[in-house]
Amino acid sequence: MKKMSYAAFAVALAALPAHAEELTVATAGDQNMVDYINQYLGPLFEKTYPGNTVRAVGTGPGDAGSQKILERFDAQAAANIPAWDFDVAVVHEKFVGPMVDKKYLDKYRGDIDTGSLVTRANAKMALGTNVDGYVMPMFNSQTAIAYNPALEPNPPKSYAELAEWAKAHPKQFGYNGIKGGASGVSFVMGWIYAFGGGDANTLMNGPFKEDETRKWDAAFKSLADFTTNATLTPGNAGTLDLLSRGEIAMGPVWVDMFYSWQASGQLPPTMKLILPAPGMPGQPMHYVLPEKAAHKDLAEKFIALATSPKVQAEGIVKRFNWYPGIDADKVKSELDAATWNKLFVDITPEDLAAKGKPFPIAPYNNAILEAYEKSVK
Amino acid sequence: MMSRRLLGLLLVLPALAVIAFLFILPLIMSAVGAFQVDGAFGWGNFVKTFDLYTKDIVFTVVIIAFSTMLIGIASIAIGGYLTLGEHPVAVTILRWLYRWPMFIPFIVVGQILRTFLAKNGMMNNTFVNLGLLTPLDAQSFLDWRGIVIAFVWKQTPFVALLVAGAMASVNRDTIEAARNLGASRLRVLIEILVPQVAMTLTVGLILSFVTMMSVLSVPLMINAQSPTMLTADIAFRVNSYGDYGVANALGLISLVLASSVAWIYLRASLRERA
Repeated sequence: MKKMSYAAFAVALAALPAHAEELTVATAGDQNMVDYINQYLGPLFEKTYPGNTVRAVGTGPGDAGSQKILERFDAQAAANIPAWDFDVAVVHEKFVGPMVDKKYLDKYRGDIDTGSLVTRANAKMALGTNVDGYVMPMFNSQTAIAYNPALEPNPPKSYAELAEWAKAHPKQFGYNGIKGGASGVSFVMGWIYAFGGGDANTLMNGPFKEDETRKWDAAFKSLADFTTNATLTPGNAGTLDLLSRGEIAMGPVWVDMFYSWQASGQLPPTMKLILPAPGMPGQPMHYVLPEKAAHKDLAEKFIALATSPKVQAEGIVKRFNWYPGIDADKVKSELDAATWNKLFVDITPEDLAAKGKPFPIAPYNNAILEAYEKSVK
Repeated sequence: MMSRRLLGLLLVLPALAVIAFLFILPLIMSAVGAFQVDGAFGWGNFVKTFDLYTKDIVFTVVIIAFSTMLIGIASIAIGGYLTLGEHPVAVTILRWLYRWPMFIPFIVVGQILRTFLAKNGMMNNTFVNLGLLTPLDAQSFLDWRGIVIAFVWKQTPFVALLVAGAMASVNRDTIEAARNLGASRLRVLIEILVPQVAMTLTVGLILSFVTMMSVLSVPLMINAQSPTMLTADIAFRVNSYGDYGVANALGLISLVLASSVAWIYLRASLRERA
């Protein structure tokens, strides 16, 4: 009898997969990013590759979350640790450049079959740094101006018109400055693209020249005047809050957040979006794989799954209203027309192509933020 | 004898190590970091700090000083009523109610006030429905006033708790003597009670001042505009620029502000003992 039970144990043990591994995925961003991995991507991966488990670690919202991941890499590199504790990290565009420069990342895109589905330029250059091969975009997000048609049926179509409009409608435009989330930052970047006096393309693609930063004085002066006529909101969510309560008529928001709030009923369905000329920035979140990740093979499989057309359609577009990270056409065929069209009601693919801009390269980005701190008080 | 002394040292060693490595070392590193610009020592971080954030430093001091003053007045009023109040039911209700905000975290206070104080928020809606305000006159309190309201609401119970305790232990003979001689309750409060609990009140207010200096969630949730509190600036320097130099300089400035208050307290307590 005893022998039998030993045998049963042996059989049971042998049936378990030989390599049960735990994959650690660190992600910057709001709780919804952690939920996405815990509730959707993780279980899907565990089902596809049985025996392995996925552990999601949220490092906090906004740039701060990505900054923490970068600092973690810094610390482990400085301590010469052979196997780093994050296998996959999801970080903001701004932090990919420094990670590549410091040689923390693995050039893995060529190794996975979904790598060839990436078409957008922001997977090659990240704010002026060549990151080609090191990143897979998880999704692309975009900022735009949300407005309340009941208060303003004909929203301004460009930054110039917007400036005029705000003068005529004091306190009806709301934005969150630069310290309360990236939708306000994006609005400010768009302002400099529109009125900066230099070439906006240089700001987006480099190279960095000190001279360029001196061409913004007039733009910041007009932005300071504009801001005295605007309402300052507490954060990205604050702008949407004020919009939903009718306290402001329009303000810059993240497109995906706007749609999610509408879907959950936090924002009236009548609200609309417009992308003013010459354009506003958006940014991707990237999957990166540390050079010294402990479970590299598994990490590649995880990213390949996460960037497959099916997951991009189900998870990224349908669940979160994000624009897909891989070529949109490949994703479109996986979705019904209604879901697809919802993403492009107010902002057409043509708008997006013409007016969806990247953020400025890192040194200009910092210079603009600091100039804002100096002049808009 | 020697071994006992050694044993004693061994016993305090863990605690000492925690303080040395988790408090003193980071403090020194951050203080040194404030004077480092690109690896060399210099005043660069402070030049930038005063260039960009002078207004915020002044704003922080004014807001917190003003809040501290309001907290002082409110906690004297609460403590005074608990000690001198003559209506037992009102005293019981107040005693039961006033401590509640103490158990609510700052971030939740920020979250509550964000919807409560908004232009079309609960407070203004109530006023409008009561006919005290027209919707057009309603204005948002989500600016410096929101911060003051959050601080006062959250910190008053803490100071009131200390003050009420001290007031309760004051010899009641002096109060009754004053009452017998015809002093009003307000006069008893101001001339008899408050002077006797002045030290406790000061301690409570200084602790509140230092706590408020370190709160990040309230300014972030209620007003992250300019001018804003130093904590929001420190977070912004680190998160947006990865710039620990200026963040350290800002931290050092808030340390100086906080310790200057502590210094006032130390001088006062020394004078009292002398």
